[in-house]
Amino acid sequence: MDSDVIDILLVDDSQDDVDLTLHALRAESLANHVFVARDGEEALDFLFCTGPHRQRSFEHPPKLVLLDLKLPKVDGMQVLQQIKSDPRTKTIPVVLMTSSREERDMAKGYNLGANSYLQKPVDFEQFRKMVKLLGLYWLVTNQPPITTRSSPQGSVEE
Amino acid sequence: MAAQAEKLVQKAEELHHSRGELEIQSRMLQSVLDSMAEGLVVADERGKFIIWNPAASQILGLGSANIPSNEWAQHYGLYTEDMVTPFPVDQSPLANAIRGKSTSAQIFVRNSNRDQGIWIEASGGPLKDKSGTVRGGVIAFRDITRRKADECEIRKLNDELEMRVTQRTVQLEAANQELEAFTYTVSHDLRAPLRHIGGFSRMLIEDFGPGMPPEACHHLRRIEDGVRRMGLLIDELLNLARLGRHALEIQSAELNSLIDEVVALLQPDAEGRAVTWKIADLSPAQCDPVLIKQVFQNLIANALKFTRPRECAIIEIGDLQQEGERVLFVRDNGVGFNMKYKDKLFGVFQRLHRNEDFEGTGIGLATVQLIIRKHGGRVWAESEVDKGTTFWFTLADAGQSVDADADPKIFTNKHASAGA
Repeated sequence: MDSDVIDILLVDDSQDDVDLTLHALRAESLANHVFVARDGEEALDFLFCTGPHRQRSFEHPPKLVLLDLKLPKVDGMQVLQQIKSDPRTKTIPVVLMTSSREERDMAKGYNLGANSYLQKPVDFEQFRKMVKLLGLYWLVTNQPPITTRSSPQGSVEE
Repeated sequence: MAAQAEKLVQKAEELHHSRGELEIQSRMLQSVLDSMAEGLVVADERGKFIIWNPAASQILGLGSANIPSNEWAQHYGLYTEDMVTPFPVDQSPLANAIRGKSTSAQIFVRNSNRDQGIWIEASGGPLKDKSGTVRGGVIAFRDITRRKADECEIRKLNDELEMRVTQRTVQLEAANQELEAFTYTVSHDLRAPLRHIGGFSRMLIEDFGPGMPPEACHHLRRIEDGVRRMGLLIDELLNLARLGRHALEIQSAELNSLIDEVVALLQPDAEGRAVTWKIADLSPAQCDPVLIKQVFQNLIANALKFTRPRECAIIEIGDLQQEGERVLFVRDNGVGFNMKYKDKLFGVFQRLHRNEDFEGTGIGLATVQLIIRKHGGRVWAESEVDKGTTFWFTLADAGQSVDADADPKIFTNKHASAGA
């Protein structure tokens, strides 16, 4: 997978959740440009073009970050905070997707600048419906922010 | 001359008489002083003791002594509240009294005859002559050792109590935090694997279903049903836990509008069925409307559920006065339950019916009880198998708001329905 052209950065430590989410995205043909990070550190490396992703460029941020809150190493809230406090990444839409419906998490997430907070429904049908709506909205309906760099846009798309 | 002599004799008699009176008064004073339980000491303006009653000696352990006033503290062993600093004599109530001031003080006394030490409370005031000139001072004092000990004991007990309350509060807060952590875990960690089970079952059915024997598909659907059910259980359990932490917002609530909302909400359950609603005109109640609506919702949903086998369901909601207390009720003519299981009714996950007959999670009535208890009220049920069930509940603060006389409709309504 060419990690330069990424629509969705999916950050989730559970292989089961990753498979289910990809399955749901695939059903809507939204799974072609997904990068999966299995912990907070990997997600940050990807977004900030560091470590194994130092070859990446800031010019092609993902159109959407799907972020689980409970993550190894660096947890979801910290990832969110770093994304939203850095001018290079703060315009990237971040959707928190989590198992819990804790009001504290919700409030904290929105305070840190999350664009949406979703609880993964137990029922797979509902989960799939949610992922579909989510993908279509953020990748198709929504107008993404224009990158702050003055480099030509759209030219990288194959 | 004779007249003068007569006058003199009269004067002498008067004098004699008044001397007798004086003697009587002096003896009376003496017996008063002798019989007093309080110590009484009078000193003249130079600090010389002129009255010192027996109780004074008994309390202090020492008698009157002809010593200068600046040696009182040393001689009698007088100390301040800290029990070690000699009492400053010029601040003692007697010294103040001689200077014309009325004061009182608590003094610790320890001397050779009072080696354990005692506490006295002394109050003094000036003695003035006819012209108002201060001629000395008087102090009265009593032994308050016992009272001091009691006060000390009370203070100690209070301190202990305070400490225990603080300890318990800390423990309680810790327990609350643990509970919160627990509910968080339940919410997050139990839900995730459940989602995976459900998700992969669905994927199996969809991706491989056509090639699978029908029985295998059936088993997979059973797995999905189980997942859905457990998801529901987790959600309701979490709601119950959240409810426990919810702070009450008491206000005057229109019960009828709450009930109307609930009935509208539950309309799908009554769809296509013959349901007779008998809802009394209820006066407002002091309660948390959000929570009490939940109570009505759970009770009415139960009533609808357990009247399902009835050709015509009758659901009645009203209130009445019982021993000066307002009691609300929700009554149905449903399948009822055996009263010997009534203790299980309000337990979490407790069910009195098989899930195939009447679905449910066993959390609804536990929730009702939690809400009613939070309001300081009680909830109970009366039932008879095949006849129906009545749930009763009270709200602690709502006792005075019902007024049956002012609204006779409530009564007629009740009578009409009681016969139904």
